Amino acid sequence: MLDRALKAADWLGLRAVWAGGALLVAAALTVSVDVLARKLFAVSLGGADELSGYAFAIGSAWAFPFALLHRANVRVDALYERLPPKLCALLDILAIVALGVFAVFLARYAWDVMATSWSLSSRSNSALKVPLWIPQALWVSGLGLFLATLVLLLARALRALAGGDWAWIRATLGARSVVEEAEEETAYARALERKPR
Amino acid sequence: MISTALVTLLVLIALAIPVAAALGVLGLILEAAYSQLPLVRAMGEVAWSASNEFLLVSVPLFVLLGEILLRAGFAERMYGSLIQWVSWLPGGLMHSNIATCGIFAATSGSSVATAATVGTVALPQARRFGYNERVFLGTLAAGGTLGILIPPSINMIIYAVLTNTSVPKLYLAGIVPGVLLMLLFMLIVVLLCVVRPAWGGQRVIATWPERFRGLAHLAPPAGIFFVVVGSIYVGIATPTEAASLGVLASLVLAWWKGRLSRAMLRDAIEGTMKTTAMVMLIILAAYFLNFVMSGIGLTTALTAFIEGLGLPPAWMLLAVILFYVVLGCFMETLSMMITTIPIVAPVMFKLGYDPVWFGIIVILLIETALVTPPVGLNLFVVQNLRRTGTMNDVIIGTLPFVAALFAMLALLAAFPGLATWLPAAFG
Repeated sequence: MLDRALKAADWLGLRAVWAGGALLVAAALTVSVDVLARKLFAVSLGGADELSGYAFAIGSAWAFPFALLHRANVRVDALYERLPPKLCALLDILAIVALGVFAVFLARYAWDVMATSWSLSSRSNSALKVPLWIPQALWVSGLGLFLATLVLLLARALRALAGGDWAWIRATLGARSVVEEAEEETAYARALERKPR
Repeated sequence: MISTALVTLLVLIALAIPVAAALGVLGLILEAAYSQLPLVRAMGEVAWSASNEFLLVSVPLFVLLGEILLRAGFAERMYGSLIQWVSWLPGGLMHSNIATCGIFAATSGSSVATAATVGTVALPQARRFGYNERVFLGTLAAGGTLGILIPPSINMIIYAVLTNTSVPKLYLAGIVPGVLLMLLFMLIVVLLCVVRPAWGGQRVIATWPERFRGLAHLAPPAGIFFVVVGSIYVGIATPTEAASLGVLASLVLAWWKGRLSRAMLRDAIEGTMKTTAMVMLIILAAYFLNFVMSGIGLTTALTAFIEGLGLPPAWMLLAVILFYVVLGCFMETLSMMITTIPIVAPVMFKLGYDPVWFGIIVILLIETALVTPPVGLNLFVVQNLRRTGTMNDVIIGTLPFVAALFAMLALLAAFPGLATWLPAAFG
């Protein structure tokens, strides 16, 4: 059950990243068109910068669960890597708890920001007059998914702890070593190398 | 209050709590302990305004640009043509390693991406032409760090956001030290190879017509540099707009090279979004922490405390350099910047140091952090590309270039004009 829910969160997180990335690429293209139109034809579409700001806020919030599940959150492991595995597992769970505490407050007060915009019908202070609750709601949804993923991870980690499944905790929550980091940075370069043109 | 905050932070970090969570939780603790006002309620507003700050939008765009360029595959040709220009020097191909890094740095804002891209192209040559592998690896790990000093630069944007410094000025300020550092790296190779000719491997001597024909392969990076950095100075674009144009240009380039595909784009996006999420979560937490810190008067207390030490500015600078060199041995560089710059920079500015100049000092320190063990990421990237041998080879091979980085820091401290002259001339 828990595993299925986690799998669903993983699936959703990946889709959210693609969607967020697509938003970002779209923002880059919109801003480019805006700059080119302004310089070449002296026409301003206007609002491209504002929209790209929203795309960025939404995209990065939607990427939080993915980054979490891929252990991309930076941890200083100078002490950690010298500790016995069981202690590391406890620290891994503590890390999730700490992220969770921060995420609870973040989601809670981000929700307030959206709720205020909704009840006051606030619009952005620009030519577009965007009803602010729309981008804010999309942004909060990302933070909500992040929080839900954290809760699922914590529940699953506690079960692993109770069952003595240290390997699962290590693999899913362990701090990423700099070796793994480098592995990822070079993965594509390596693939290129294997298929010379 | 200062010691409580510091000890709490150190304990959280030492326990390997993610940096973002450590900063956020510290903010919550400080607020609960010292604040009369419910500062925490502002967390949403602080986070929202940081999340759609237009200048910050350029960070993921520059990351995306780097991810696309890495996959666009124009580095090989570029490397080939630079060989013809610089590889007659004692040290042969090692000079083209450094020069390719320097030129690639002018299109990419990331040091890791620079080392990975150039390393992939260059490493197969090391064994073929009989180079001393250690020094060869060193040129790649160290040369890669030029990525963030020669504009564009992701780290400079983060610095600009954190200290309200102008990105165009920082970019201009990085050019002279960047080229100088590149020459220093090359000088070190020459010196090493004059003392130990056996390390030098085979040199390449090309004819002038060959050299000029090769220049065509420098067109793609030159084009990207013009779009991304040139557009800012011609006054066409803000940094974020320039980054957008860069993404567009790199997509066109990748398409032209036949490397644009759905899978490639998806990979690039996943890599970009992961980095973005990592950086943004830390930024949200750091903004909240700074908000709490100034709300409870901790920022003022901290600045007063440091000023109360009465260190002369030069000693303070030395202390800051030492601090970053040590911290850089243990901490990922972007999180190190976001965590410390909001505290350190205002103190340095108050002592009379120029924000743009200090920015370049910070970037040089970050470069040093990228090549100092145990967690210098560039060392690992190069080691990872080569797959055989031990990490020690890379570390030892990079040491002479770390000396060059320190020499550059000293030069910049002695002659601040190296960084400040160009922005002043254009500004």
